[in-house]
Amino acid sequence: MSELFGVDEAVHEKVMAEAERIKALGEAAEREARDPVNQPTINNWLEAMGNTDPRWRAGEAPPSMAQVWTMYGLGGKPPADDPLHGMMGVLTETGFTAVLGTNCEQEYHRTLKVGEQVRVTTALDSVVGPKRTGMGVGYFVTSRNTWYVGDEVVATMLFRVLKFVPRSREEAGA
Amino acid sequence: MSVVTDLLVPGATLPEWSVPLTPTVIVSTAIATRDFQDVHHDRDIAQAAGSKDVFMNILTSTAFVERYVNDWVREQTGEGAVVRGIAIRLGAPAYPYDTLTFTGSVESVEDGVAVLKVTGSVSLGDHVIGTVKVAVA
Repeated sequence: MSELFGVDEAVHEKVMAEAERIKALGEAAEREARDPVNQPTINNWLEAMGNTDPRWRAGEAPPSMAQVWTMYGLGGKPPADDPLHGMMGVLTETGFTAVLGTNCEQEYHRTLKVGEQVRVTTALDSVVGPKRTGMGVGYFVTSRNTWYVGDEVVATMLFRVLKFVPRSREEAGA
Repeated sequence: MSVVTDLLVPGATLPEWSVPLTPTVIVSTAIATRDFQDVHHDRDIAQAAGSKDVFMNILTSTAFVERYVNDWVREQTGEGAVVRGIAIRLGAPAYPYDTLTFTGSVESVEDGVAVLKVTGSVSLGDHVIGTVKVAVA
């Protein structure tokens, strides 16, 4: 048995069992972008980033905007069957209340064009832990998003967060 | 050999680039990436959650890494980079009134893809360590 860093064995087993169940869902919670790829949204992004590349003023979106199109928007919430949201919920319920983004790895198969309708799926890739970190004891949760136009994969992302018990609470014995 | 192939050779270094982080930069970039999490635009809520201030969202850290590499390639070759991937590791938060300073270099070139290592630092340490893949074919 690997080191549990004070995490109750039953809690750890529950976390890992839920992780296996959610991983088995595969690509789930498919969502359509609210809007097709569009020039006004690209222009707002360019202004905010100070990005002056004329390529992005002519109907092509910057690669790192891939994720923007399927963001939930103001007040938007992940659906109940979303694998990342589900896993985060399990960890919050078992006391790992704090969250910190640690890694984001995006691959761009091609640039998106104005007018294209993007959809995204989410899968739980892995749950690793418990680990003791500078922030506190927690689990690293990695999800994988895949963006499609029609049946074509246009971009992918591995996103890793640390879900942890904040150290002050842990030291207080919580 | 294209101009970008001549530019992106192992060991080539990018000039340092600094972004002064105003509250407007932090907030406008979060909104422009359609990220409405309150810690990126509401200082009271960010501070109540234990943060010093609002802080840069991850989509913007990625976007600045992209801009840093793309602007350099564009200045040097007259054409933008064909970016195939950006992988970032996140460190210290980027707060308003700090400065985000980028350095970078070309690590390797293999199978038509150059791999660049980029670091964006703030006063608290490294905010973002990125690996950027650029097509050189």
